[in-house]
Amino acid sequence: MTDTAAAQSTYTCPYCKQTSTGAETSCPTCGAPVNIQLRTTASGWTELPSIADMARIQFGQSKAQVEGRLVPVAEMSLAAGDGVYFTQNMLLWQEPSVHVDAMPLSKPWTRHRAGLPLVMLTADGPGRIAFSHDEPGELIALPLQRGAAVDVREHTLLVATKGVAYDWAPTNVWFMTSGGQQQPVSAGGSLLKMGMQMAGAGGLDRDRGRDNNQQEWHYPVGQFLDRFQAGEKPGLVMVQASGNAYVRELGERESILIKPPALLFKDPTVGMQLHVEYPAAGMKLWRTWGNRYLWLRVWGPGRVGLQSCYERLDDPGTDFRDLSPHTDYLWR
Amino acid sequence: MTDVEQRIQCRWCHAQSPSSARTCDRCGAPLDVRDAVTDSGWREAPRLRDLTQFHWSASGCQMDAGVVPVAEVTLAGEDTVFFEHHAMLWKDESVPMSVLSTPGGARRLVSGMPFVLSVAHAPGRVAFSRDATGELVVIPVEAPAEVDVREHALVLASGSLSFTYEKIGGFRVMLAADAGMYLDRFVAQSAPGLLVLHGYGNVFQRTLGEGETILIDPGAFFYKDSKVTMEVTSINMKGRIEDNAAAAPPADDSAAGTAAAPAAAAAVAEPPKKGGMFGRLKSVTSMVNVGGIAQAAGSLRSGGGIGGVASALVGGGGSTMFRMTGPGRVGIQSMFRPHKTGSE
Repeated sequence: MTDTAAAQSTYTCPYCKQTSTGAETSCPTCGAPVNIQLRTTASGWTELPSIADMARIQFGQSKAQVEGRLVPVAEMSLAAGDGVYFTQNMLLWQEPSVHVDAMPLSKPWTRHRAGLPLVMLTADGPGRIAFSHDEPGELIALPLQRGAAVDVREHTLLVATKGVAYDWAPTNVWFMTSGGQQQPVSAGGSLLKMGMQMAGAGGLDRDRGRDNNQQEWHYPVGQFLDRFQAGEKPGLVMVQASGNAYVRELGERESILIKPPALLFKDPTVGMQLHVEYPAAGMKLWRTWGNRYLWLRVWGPGRVGLQSCYERLDDPGTDFRDLSPHTDYLWR
Repeated sequence: MTDVEQRIQCRWCHAQSPSSARTCDRCGAPLDVRDAVTDSGWREAPRLRDLTQFHWSASGCQMDAGVVPVAEVTLAGEDTVFFEHHAMLWKDESVPMSVLSTPGGARRLVSGMPFVLSVAHAPGRVAFSRDATGELVVIPVEAPAEVDVREHALVLASGSLSFTYEKIGGFRVMLAADAGMYLDRFVAQSAPGLLVLHGYGNVFQRTLGEGETILIDPGAFFYKDSKVTMEVTSINMKGRIEDNAAAAPPADDSAAGTAAAPAAAAAVAEPPKKGGMFGRLKSVTSMVNVGGIAQAAGSLRSGGGIGGVASALVGGGGSTMFRMTGPGRVGIQSMFRPHKTGSE
């Protein structure tokens, strides 16, 4: 009896590394199916398993249940005293007993300019509340132990538990090209411009004001990364990947090049910077006309997570005016 | 002769089938798969097997369940189906077609609803697709019953159902709710009928008890029994829920008896009183909150235009919710931002 119990309690989830009894069909910490084969490619990428339909994930006195396969839903059953936070457009339904409130955020104008949500909400139990990312993909549960942190690509957060601190920091991965829109110099000027454009056809005309003397900024992995850090208690962060999600553990100084829009999350210990490759095609003069490939160089130690479905990287191919710290490589 | 064969009941539509059947003959739901129900009572719509067949009246339907599912209908006898014309994928050349007489006329046109509903008559085959990723949901409707459906979600309805529509009251709903101005209402008066709907993403259904309420995102609303009342509610950024006057009227169901409804439900369904011009002005200003301004700015930046800005301002930044009050079924879809197929 004792031996059996001890054996059951030693099950370690191969994905989140947390131990449980193994009696359930899925890991109670991250929702990964129990006892499935770890699916790792020869190069070391581990495919994150889809959270099984109706799988439950425990956090604090509360639990989350994941349902649906095309566009999954995370249904939270919040106990009294437990809470979560989220961006307002993720809320699918809630019971009236759940208390929803605004979450204070700093630097609203900077967030607006960066395209980050201006308003985030908190929900406190008791009661049930459900979230959906409104697009096909996979829900990924990232359990955080005490003091642990994870950097997540902007707009991929579905929900996080309240004990997890939220912060956001520049990615420092950017480049500037010619011929873009002029960056607004002040909040007032930008508002006036927006108001004038509203009075016209409606909406911003992105090509208006395009001028070769102007510059265009590009942020291949977004302008900011969301950082989530657990406090005194363990926490849970749920993100949604487009397509499939893969994770790889990088060793000390081990590096790899990835498509910048494919980055989903990484440990804060993982560094990253822009990497540019120039294929040797024709005269050297021409190489700046679109003959370049932009990569994100990431190096360990730590985990890096990718999504297999990502937006096309917006590179007009015009001359760089400036770049963030980067490396480059000219093909022979 | 006595029928001694054991029967099995479908958990989705409650029809009985022979115990040897693998799928329900009336709705196509698998009978040998356990129900997937969340802890809070949301039931996943049955995951129809590819090429599942089911029948109604003299006709049948076969589902090509895939990423973008297709419903292939074989019409026989005197049966007909009606549908929005652009949902038709292909048809036998011999299938007679006509137009359903629909109420509303120009109002339907102005509100973005299809001006013409097409009718396909037996005999022959017609196939339908909503041209978008999602699930097809089969809802048999027993007489007498009424089902309200989000506009543009209909794939097909059997000719035994009558069609009307209900206006969702209020300017605020029109701008903020993302659910359109009207609900399609399908009524089975004397004979049973069949509805096939398309939901974006995954579809879930929950049966609310008498007076039980739940708040759902307006875009997630998919269908409901007409007895379920629907009101627009705002969650302001201080966590307080505000009720709005706009409410979709419940069905005029004297048989069920509104008198039997508990006082709590009646209080929820009753529209708040308005206080003249100043009261209305106050009501309008209360709509605009921080979330609304934030979402308006986002809409402006992404090219949403004046309509998007107004919608965001009035909608309170996505914190506008539908308060659904039972008794009855409520269906939701897990993709809930406005999704439009090509012809809408």
